[in-house]
Amino acid sequence: MSVSDRFRRIAARPVVLDVQHLGMAFPGSGGGVVHALHDVSFQVRRREFVTVVGASGCGKSTLVRILAGLTAHSSGEVLLDGRPVNGPGPDRGMVFQGYTLFPWLSVLKNVMFGLEMQEVGHDAARAEALQWLDLVGLAHKAEAWPHQLSGGQRQRVAIARALAAKPRILLMDEPFGALDPQTRANLQEHLLQIWSHVDITIVFITHDIDEAVWLADRVLVLQPPDAAHPGGWLREAVEVPLPVPRTRAMLASDAFRATRERIDALIHPPQVHAAERLPVFKLTQAGDEIL
Amino acid sequence: MARGGWRVGGELSPRSAAVLWCCAFLLPLAAWCAVSYVPWLWHPQVLISEPGGSSYSAGMRVERADFAAAQREAASAGTAPPSGERVNPIFLPAPHAVGQALWTGFTTPPLRRGDPWLHESLGHSVSVILWGFVIASLIGVPLGILCGAVPAMARLVEPFVDFIRYMPAPAFGALCVAVLGINDAPKIAIIVIGTLFQMVLVIANTTRNLDRSLVEAALTLGASDKRLLLRVVVPGILPNLYTDLRVLLGWAWTYLIVAELIGASSGISWYINQQGKYRAYENVFAGIILIGIIGLVSDQVLAWIGRFLFPWSGQRPSKPSQIAFAIVSFPLRLPWILLVLARKHHPANQVKP
Amino acid sequence: MLRSLAALVLAFAAVHAADPPLKVAYSDWPGWTAWEIAIQKGWFKEAGVNVEFVWMEYGPSMEAFQAGKVDAVTVTNGDQLVMGAAGKASKGIILTDYSNGNDMIVGKPGINSVKDLKGKKVGLEVGFVEHLLLLKALEANGMTEADITLVNVPTNDTPQTLASGQVDAIGAWYPVSGQALEQVPGSKPIFTSKDAPGLIYDFTVVATESLTKRKADWLKIAAIWPKVTAYLADPATREDGIKIMAARVNVPPAKYAAAMPGTFILDLAGNLERFAKTDGLGSVYGSSKIAHAFNLANKVYDKPLNVEDFIDPSFIQAAKK
Repeated sequence: MSVSDRFRRIAARPVVLDVQHLGMAFPGSGGGVVHALHDVSFQVRRREFVTVVGASGCGKSTLVRILAGLTAHSSGEVLLDGRPVNGPGPDRGMVFQGYTLFPWLSVLKNVMFGLEMQEVGHDAARAEALQWLDLVGLAHKAEAWPHQLSGGQRQRVAIARALAAKPRILLMDEPFGALDPQTRANLQEHLLQIWSHVDITIVFITHDIDEAVWLADRVLVLQPPDAAHPGGWLREAVEVPLPVPRTRAMLASDAFRATRERIDALIHPPQVHAAERLPVFKLTQAGDEIL
Repeated sequence: MARGGWRVGGELSPRSAAVLWCCAFLLPLAAWCAVSYVPWLWHPQVLISEPGGSSYSAGMRVERADFAAAQREAASAGTAPPSGERVNPIFLPAPHAVGQALWTGFTTPPLRRGDPWLHESLGHSVSVILWGFVIASLIGVPLGILCGAVPAMARLVEPFVDFIRYMPAPAFGALCVAVLGINDAPKIAIIVIGTLFQMVLVIANTTRNLDRSLVEAALTLGASDKRLLLRVVVPGILPNLYTDLRVLLGWAWTYLIVAELIGASSGISWYINQQGKYRAYENVFAGIILIGIIGLVSDQVLAWIGRFLFPWSGQRPSKPSQIAFAIVSFPLRLPWILLVLARKHHPANQVKP
Repeated sequence: MLRSLAALVLAFAAVHAADPPLKVAYSDWPGWTAWEIAIQKGWFKEAGVNVEFVWMEYGPSMEAFQAGKVDAVTVTNGDQLVMGAAGKASKGIILTDYSNGNDMIVGKPGINSVKDLKGKKVGLEVGFVEHLLLLKALEANGMTEADITLVNVPTNDTPQTLASGQVDAIGAWYPVSGQALEQVPGSKPIFTSKDAPGLIYDFTVVATESLTKRKADWLKIAAIWPKVTAYLADPATREDGIKIMAARVNVPPAKYAAAMPGTFILDLAGNLERFAKTDGLGSVYGSSKIAHAFNLANKVYDKPLNVEDFIDPSFIQAAKK
């Protein structure tokens, strides 16, 4: 299946998440108004994998918190399956950057939590939770305490816990941000594997452009406020011209590099540096020569 | 090489830690012994043994300078000089006297028929504290958690609690007696007043310090307010709540002294107060030390138990201590074990082949 | 005959079922601790009166009495009036003793008489018994309060205050007064309650309500007091009496015996004599009038009281028969 076929097929799917003219402003300390987001609109279709990148201060964390219902927005609308979103709910699962497993529950009980909130009986919840743990490859850790797991394992359990509640969409706020590069690469592959097995739509926030491009069907590029835009705004939605399933080898492909550079240029417009004029700070001791 | 235990932010080896723990008690004891038994260290007074021609009488305690002046006076007047030995003020008894007072306190029957033995007095004091603390906890823990978890509750309750906690609990003594009578009830009420308001604020604060992202995670998993409170907030703060209560239990002790002197006199405080009035300071010290020992031992025991209560907090008790806990807690766990066994073997739960 | 006996038994049982024990709060003062002898000897049971003595600190005992949680309390006649001004109607029915030296003004070395106090500082609890004692001492020496400077010092802190030299004399009661004498060499009592016997009477005071409701019981209790004083007066039993009292306050008997001479225990004859309605310190009426005038003058309270309403000699007089 060619890449263009693939996008045509995605475009034919129903819209799951519809964000229209979303704005977020709050009163600032000096009496003025601070804008976090300005007129952000986009749509995410069923089983699409969308990543959001941007420099710090562009409001990407605010965006995902509004989608989750954890932060209120001040204008525009967020529709999930056509219904407006007000407050948090199990239809939008979330994986946070920090470790948010409940430390007083075993790994299995953590995964069962969402099911029990939905009145699923204990035995059924247990069986189902074990399946999700199996999917993330941690069934053998079911009885362990969260503090006994590594960082990567904890995020895998967090993914299982979020999916077990059967959300319509999975929101991920820099979930691999705190992990070392090796673990991070493993988890990226792992996430795509899960996505291929599960009918789930994903919105994934990251500041890492490589990660954003390699994981996504589409990359939303957010920009910090400027003269024309009082809040963070959506610069462009970039389609990633890579086939699925993704492989590590694609990281070296021209298509990957071209997309990556395009996004990089959007985020970091070229600036003139007067590097020669920078003074050299002397950290050497008296008598040493500056080389 | 790690920084030593005496450096800022340094590390301490378990052995040094144990030695220092002992020193924490031995050093003050050594200082007390030195001041008591080495005459030239302090001993600011002279205990008169022979008044001689002075105006003193035997058994009187006088300042050293006055004693020297009296001796000079006697010498110049040609009368017999007073004599005596250097002593500490009566308010500082020597360690052996206090040790003896402790021993006799426990081994001699009460002077008055029907009066409690020393250990019974202590037991009575402990029961007053426990009742006061249990009642304060029954109100303070739920209220504190609600204040910490629900901002509107905090706004409604905390300002007044903050205001009332500065009021001296002992000042309510007369009111407590007027309402609750003269027996243990007003004493327990004083302990409750003394600890409850602190408790609400401390626990509210502990609750607020719970990692917010845990609450948010639960919200995205569909938890209702009630479940958020009972299944996330409460278990989330339990280890800190336990520590808070341990500290607050220590507070309760500080109110015992005033509590036991309102209404009918009772308990260890009455003993201390009465012995002080008649200047038997070795008995006063014995009483104070007993309270200290009970406080320290109970706190250490609670800390030790705490390590087993919250296995998820990552503290690993040592093997011998695990075995000891299993033995100590067995009687408490027995009903639970029996219940589980009964359920397993109940015919309704037998799996059909 | 048999019928009336049965009726009597029934009535007796009814009375007993209906009446809760009378409660008396008593505290650490020799005249009051003496009640302990009657308790330990079982004399109340013997007399068929259901009474429970509750041991308290002095201050809390007054609080409990004012709150109506006990029926009777042991206090000084002056403090009874203070409670009366606060609205507690009560009557002193038994005089246990008067202070006979246990309250004293102690002068530092160089202060040998009350006259030496002219222009000097005196530390005591303003408005309470020692203040009254000082005024009496000044009066006896032709002086007034204007001749000295008063420093308000809590009684428990007077020994240290005298030792520090900040004041020239202090006023305190036993055992604090003894502490001051021991701590300041050369200090001596320059005026004691022994010099003004009857200035401070110690009472067993009953709430008026209880007195009317349980008159028969209080008559029985009043009749027991002479037995207590007799036990302490008889050389054969005195030592045992002191031993019982010492046990109540939890100190060795020898130590306690030191407090006894400063208190003049009033037996039946003493009670009858001191309950006579005359002026002057020889009568509790006269003493209470002086205390009342003192309390008003020092703004301890500002409500004029009829002192006679607070004294009822009839109970102890009935014990004579």
